[in-house]
This record gives sequence, structure tokens and C-alpha cells, in this order.
Amino acid sequence: MAKGILLGEIGRRDVLRAGLIGLGGGITGFGAGPVNEAAASTPTGLGSRVLVVVELSGANDGLNTIVPYTNDAYYRARPKLGLRPEKLRRLDDQFAVQSGMAGFERLFKDGQLAIVHGVGYDNPSFSHFTSMAYWQTGAPNSGDPYGWLGRLADALDPSGGDNFIVDVESRQSLAVRARAHVPLTFFQPEHFKRDATYEEKAALDQIAGPRTARNDAETFLFDVAASAQRAEMHVREACAAYRTPVDYGLIRFGLERVAALIAAGFPTRIYYVSYPHNAFDTHVNQADNHARLLTYTSDHIAAFLADMARIRRGPDVSVLVFSEFGRRVAENANLGTDHGTAGPCFIAGQPVRGGHYGAMPSLTDLDDGNMRFTTDFRRVYATMAATWMGCQDTTPVLKGDWPPLPAFQG
Amino acid sequence: MTDGWEQDLSSISPTDWTPERARHLLDRAGFGGPPEEVARLAAMTPEAAVAWFIDFKAIDDSNLPPFEHSGIYDPSLTPFPPTRPAATRLAAETGSAMGVDAKPAGPRRLQPVADRFFFWLRASMLETRRVGNWWADRMVATNRPLEEKLALFWHGHFACSEEKVRDYRKMLAQILLFQQHAAGNFRTLLSAVARDPAMLVYLDAGQNLKDHPNENFGRELMELFTMGVGHYTEQDIREAARAFTGWSDKDLTFHIDDVQHDSGDKTVLGHTGPLDGQEVLDIILAQPATANFIAGKLYRFLVRDDLSPEFQDRLGNLLRSGKYEIAPFLRTLFLSRDFYNPASVGTHIKGPVELIVSTYRRLGLGTTPGMPDFNSASTELGQTLLNPPTVAGWSQGRAWITPGSLLARGNFARAVLLPDVIAFADPNLDPYPSQLRTFSAHIRAGEDITTASRIVDGADGTEAQRSGMAIANLLSAHEEFNTHYASLKGWEEAVRRVRPTLRAAAQFSLTTLVLKGGARSTTQAVDSLIARFLSVPLDSETRDAAVTFLEAELGTADLDRAKTYLEEPLRLTAHLIMSTPQYQLA
Repeated sequence: MAKGILLGEIGRRDVLRAGLIGLGGGITGFGAGPVNEAAASTPTGLGSRVLVVVELSGANDGLNTIVPYTNDAYYRARPKLGLRPEKLRRLDDQFAVQSGMAGFERLFKDGQLAIVHGVGYDNPSFSHFTSMAYWQTGAPNSGDPYGWLGRLADALDPSGGDNFIVDVESRQSLAVRARAHVPLTFFQPEHFKRDATYEEKAALDQIAGPRTARNDAETFLFDVAASAQRAEMHVREACAAYRTPVDYGLIRFGLERVAALIAAGFPTRIYYVSYPHNAFDTHVNQADNHARLLTYTSDHIAAFLADMARIRRGPDVSVLVFSEFGRRVAENANLGTDHGTAGPCFIAGQPVRGGHYGAMPSLTDLDDGNMRFTTDFRRVYATMAATWMGCQDTTPVLKGDWPPLPAFQG
Repeated sequence: MTDGWEQDLSSISPTDWTPERARHLLDRAGFGGPPEEVARLAAMTPEAAVAWFIDFKAIDDSNLPPFEHSGIYDPSLTPFPPTRPAATRLAAETGSAMGVDAKPAGPRRLQPVADRFFFWLRASMLETRRVGNWWADRMVATNRPLEEKLALFWHGHFACSEEKVRDYRKMLAQILLFQQHAAGNFRTLLSAVARDPAMLVYLDAGQNLKDHPNENFGRELMELFTMGVGHYTEQDIREAARAFTGWSDKDLTFHIDDVQHDSGDKTVLGHTGPLDGQEVLDIILAQPATANFIAGKLYRFLVRDDLSPEFQDRLGNLLRSGKYEIAPFLRTLFLSRDFYNPASVGTHIKGPVELIVSTYRRLGLGTTPGMPDFNSASTELGQTLLNPPTVAGWSQGRAWITPGSLLARGNFARAVLLPDVIAFADPNLDPYPSQLRTFSAHIRAGEDITTASRIVDGADGTEAQRSGMAIANLLSAHEEFNTHYASLKGWEEAVRRVRPTLRAAAQFSLTTLVLKGGARSTTQAVDSLIARFLSVPLDSETRDAAVTFLEAELGTADLDRAKTYLEEPLRLTAHLIMSTPQYQLA
């Protein structure tokens, strides 16, 4: 067990482990006064809960995100990149966020942001691709053809109901690959349509009918074609019709599209968005770039939750934010940081019990220059799968028995 | 008849050679082609057909023009500052950067320097699109299709992106390297790539210094370029990184900085000594895992996705015993019974570039049309040449297909068959980033730079201010330069100086193609289109729907009666056929 700074709140909270009982009652009554008819018809309760997963690709530097500004070891390890206390937004007497992260600061102070410290896994990989695949499959140092969210969808709805999973990316993530579900994957909704003349439409509908496949490749293609046929018009119309006064920030990496689908009453329970292209891989000249990335991320997520509150779906939605690993404690010679191990995860939203979870790893008792993780990421997944989404048996989803964190209001 | 052909590497016999198998070879060793080309290959022996692909150096390629540079580069751009802040800081400290001086006095002293920085970023980006276009044109026009198919494979294998390299010249040089060594020797190729300027920049060779080794190249070398995960330790990576210290680029050439090279002892994969980079490459090449990894990846790209570990070992042994020569390895593969067994034929999902190129080749175009735009089309389908998403390249096969990309593939076919000439706009004139359109309008209307910037930032909106966004522009409020203005000026100069791309629609006549093939009825016309565009059989319901559609459009089943107005209905029918799931397969 790693030696770390145990946060005062943790012990108390572990006792208050949140269970499933009574959660359903906590969110009744929020269906009143929705902004449109689709939302009005959405039933409330466990089955209307939505999980939004935000991936920060490239390995976010956790130490310069949730800054331990009272820890001298932090400044010793980072003489140039260490962020001075006067330039930070303080969350409490131990931690602060970067100045651009006003959105996260507000969420934290409103009790809607859970920070899970020191999240990682045993025998960490330092490869983006490998570690991201570990996180996406939920199978570190192992493998699985399906993603953890795909398996969660299969567990929650073995019948493979339409549009249970939406992945707002140009390429489908491994995290959402499922046995029974065809995730609805799109990036630009206005492009998510079949261009055809009036005369062609009847023939195209006929072509999209059920077919007998000659092999697995055809089975796969026929399934996806059927999913496209069912979903295309709905997605495009939902996104085109959506109007919101909320500003989603300078880099809109997908949550405004998630909001549009939620507002349109999509049956989707799992959404996946990504800050793409390994953006957080800050080996060189990190400071300005990382500050911008965090500003955009914080703005975008805080805006999304504000928008959910506006359309009165706040109680039904929670957001999980992760990155494939953190970075080394010490800065490198290029004003950047190299691949590391543990980092913070975030769980945000109205139903969240804000505060600190897990233990902040020591910055001096290191494993070859890297922090020792204190919370396995599958405990964070268990929190979302069991406590939030109401999955009765998460063992097949997470390939083991992982106790959830008490990060939701009971 | 093909029972037991799976995993059988012995050659098929001349009696096994059919037009279907010739088409399969054309699809996989090349980018597919029209029925005439299939017939030409089918008339050969299998050995001769395979040799035509593999011994391509003997085929004349003088029809393929070299890339024509726009002339945007000059030596003052080297070394190019890593970031805009670094560029303006340099100018603030030394009085100039990138060959441009700071003004001696007055407002926005550093503006010309910031303009210069954005000019090169945007110009290199636009010129890289031209490189992508030039390469796609080669893929369509070449009589050496395997050369380009393998260059595309190596580009995905040694994936570097212009977005980070920020120099189209280095990216172009890397593609030329892939073409040169396409079916050559893997050791030669690997050794050249390790010294290739685009790769050196992409994986931070310049930061791999004796006292501060950077592991980026060492890690990807082992994980992605040679052995794959599980065959080395973190310690091997660290030691290998030391062996490559001092390896760097001097603009377009390779250079070793002796002062920065760590000549001490290292231990890599059990070998100890004062190893240098080439010795580490040779240690890695001697590992069976490397041959297995490369052989397996080539197999998955050219034959099929599923591959048993035992069979992969056999393929690896074949490649290693042939001293990493790619051509003989592929000759065995392309002649093998395994290659022609039903599990291999018609089960491959075409990648975006492959789909586009094969569409043009099957239409017999001979050149890549400017409308639709090649780069926009492939990007829409999930692949942008010279800008792979990460150093892992593109994942192949099913990963290409989503509901959205499947629709986009049908839309691409329509854009070729029935181009929207009214709505078409040259994407290279579409400002990057898109806010420039608004900003430019305000500047041209006579507004001052600061006010125009605030409007573009939404800084007048309270929400924006509260949440602390647009931090970069608030920081530059003291205005030694304005980032938006620099971005606009840089874009303007880049567009002025980069050569335009010809925007011509594809020239072809389906009427001629169908009638020349002997079709007399709507059913025969549909079968002719199916034979031209599909590599797998089309189910009878879809075929019937296409026949019914064509007949309704023509008002008759008799093509001769309709021959004066056949083209548009045939194009719509082709669009239907190319909208099927089966069109994705080869």
C-alpha cells in the first residue's frame, strides 16, 4: 500500500458508503417544467440516468491541474513549471486549480465536483495507446474485445436497445465497443445524413432492409447500416434544433451535442466524448498550452452542467473525466513533463457529493520518479456503473469486485 | 475445392486462376480497377500476375509528375520557433525572429513577427494538403499500384503528422522515402526512418540529450515500429533512448551531435556495450518478435484481420529467414492458397483513402478530380493523409465503420457521380480557424483590431468573462501584438502564395462504359455496374431494387430505346449500388 497524504474527509465518507436504496426517490419531481415536449415525456428514476464520460487524451498533468500548492515537494520538483499560489484559484487549504479553471472552481464550491486523487493501476504502462486501451477496456495488463462502457451497456440492456450509447467522435472509441449494442457514433451532426434525391429514397429504404450476411464482415456492416438508417434523421434534427444561451467555450469538443440529444429526449444512457488528438501530451513548453487546454476543458464541462440544470436534467446527469495516466513529478529539461503514472479523476454534476476522494500520492516517496497510485481506476468505474447507473452486478463489467467510492448523494 | 487452404502458404496452381481471384489480387495488392484490368490479369498465369505487382521497379512511371512546390519556404524559417509565445519572446529579446524584425517603436511592435509565425503554420498546412492531393493522384494514376499501397501502409506504420512536424517539406520527404523502400528491405527502411527529419521532429529527437534523454522515440520504436508490447522492459526503452541521444535533424538532413550523444555503456534486450542508435536497431531486428510483428501487420493490412499466433510465427519466420526483404515475402503471400481462401476474399473493409482511390480507378479516371476535394472527402471518412491521429497510425478494418462514416461513404460516391457544382466551395479558401471570417469582416469594415478581437472572443459577453475563457487574448491585452490579427494576416499571405488546386469534376461516361460492356437491358446495366464497382456479390433484393429503380427512371427496360438520356439514371443507380454495405468490402 502506498504511503500518501490521507485527506481528512475520506475516512468519514467511507463510512457513508452510498447504496442504491433510496436513490430513486431523490430525483423524482424534477420532470416538471421541461423546455420541450420530448424532455417532458422522459421518465425520471434510475432508468433515466445518464453517464457522460469525458476522455482527456494525451495524459493530463494532474499535478498542474489540481495543484498541491502547500506542498514544498511540488515546487522543488518543478522549479520552472510549478504554479505559484498567487496565480491559482484555491479550492481549500491544500489544493488549487489553474486560473483558467473558474468553471471547476465553481463546481467544487457548489459541492458538485468530486476529485478522486491518485487514480491509476498496478504495473502501469507508459504508452498512451496501451494505457488508453487499458482504461477503455477496463482491463489493465490484459485485454478485451469490448470496452467497459460497452459491457456496461450490455449488462444494463442485454437486448441492445437503439441508441443506448452515443460516441461523439469521428472514430468510434474502444471504450464503447459492445457485444449487443451498436454505438451511435458521429462527430459533425450536419454531416450525419444520407444525401439522396427524392426519387432515390424509396430504393435506398429498400436497400437498407434486413439482409442475410455471407460472413462476419457483412453481418457487422449490415448491423451498422441498420443503425445509421434508424438514427440519422433524429441526430441531425436534434442538433440543428437545439438552442441554448449557454456558452460552451472556445473548444467545443462534443458536450453541446450531448446536450442537444438529451434535450431531444434521446433514450441514450451513456455518452462518450473526447478531447482528441493526444492534446494533453505536453512534453515541451507545457505551461501556456496546458493552461489553455484546462481552460477549454473546464469551460466546456461547467457549461454543459449549467445547461443540464437549465433544462432541468441536472439531477439525471453526471460526468466522469479521466486521462490515461498522469505525468512525472519532476519537470523535464524542455519546460514540459514526461509520461507518468497516477492522476486525478473527476466526477461532476448535481447528484455528486463533492469533495476529495482517494488519497493524494506522496510527492517524495516515488517509484522511479513517479507517484504511486492510491485508487484503482476500476473503483471509479464501479462508482459510475453501480452507484450511479444502478448496474446490479458489475463483476462481468469490471472483471472483478471493485468497491464504489461514496461520491454520490445517498 | 478450397478446403484446407486456410493458413496454407503453398502456391495456387494455374488451374486455380480465375477472374474472381485476379480481381482479389488487384484489390489487395493495389486499389482495385475496372473490369478490363481484371481481365488483363486473369489472362496471365498467377505467377506473372503477382510478378506484375511485385516487380514494379521495371514498370515505367514517367507518367507520374513530381510534386510542384508553391515556393513558400525560405531558409530564414529554420529553425522555426516551437510556439507563438516562443517566437514573440525571441523577437522581444533579440529584435527579430524568422527573418522578420520587430518594429523599433510604436504600437504592436512584434506584430510582423507574429504574422510571420502564423504565415508559415498556415502555408505549411495548405501545402501539405497539396502533397496529399499529389499523392492521391499518384495512387489513381500509377502503373505500380503496390508501390503506393505499401507507401500508404508504411505511412500508417511510421505515422508522423504535419500538425506537429509543421513542415510540409519534411512530410513530403518522408512519403518519398516510403515510396522508395515500399517493397524493399525492412532493415534499410527502419534505419532510414530513424534518421528521417519528419520522424526526428515528430518524436522529439531534438530533446533527446545526453543529460536528459527523451524516451519518446525509443518507446514508439519498440512498441509500434518493431516488436510490439510485451517484448521489452521499461529499462530497455530508457537504455535505447540513450543510444539515440544526439540524433537530430539539420533542416532536411540527418545530423548527429557528438556532444549530446551518450557514448557510455547501455544494456538493451540483453546486449551490453557503448551502443549507438544503429546497433540498437540491429539488436531489435534480430528479435523474432520484430519479424512476427511486421509480418503480422502486413498480413492484416493486405489479407485479413484474424491471424492465429502460430500462423503469425510462421509468417515471421518467413520474413526473417528472407532477411527482411519485403518483395519475396509478399510474393509467397500473394500466391498462397491462404490468400485466395474464402475467409480472405471479399472480407476486407476498405479504408477511406483506399475506398476513394478504388472508386476512381474502377471508373477508369486516371487522375484524382478536384471536385470533390480529396482531402476533405477522406477526412470526412476518417483519414487525413499526412495527419494521422496519433503515432499509432490508423486502426484498420471495422474501426473505420460507424453509422456516420457509412453514410458519408455513400455521400462521397454521390459527390463523385453527381457533384454539387452549385454548393461546392474550395475548402482551401475556407479560413482556418473559422472565426477569421467574422474577424476579417470587422477589420475590413474599418473597426480597430482590439474591438474586432473582443467581438470574436465574445469577451463582451458576461458568461465568457466570468468563466475566464479567451485567456490567451486577455494576457495579450498589453498588445505587443494581436494574435487574431496575426492569424488573419498569416492566413491571407498563405492563401495568396500557395498554388491553387484545379477544381474539375471527374470526366467519365457510364453510358459508354455500360453499353461498351454489351448491356442491352436494365438488368444487364445493373449487373454491369455491380461488376464494375463491387468485389462481392450483391444480394438479390438490392439488385432487384436497383433494376426497378433504373427502369422507372428510364421509362423502359430497353437501353437502346433510352440511349440518349441514359447517363443521369445510370449515375443515380450507381449511387444506389455504392451506398450498399457491400461497397465497403474488397
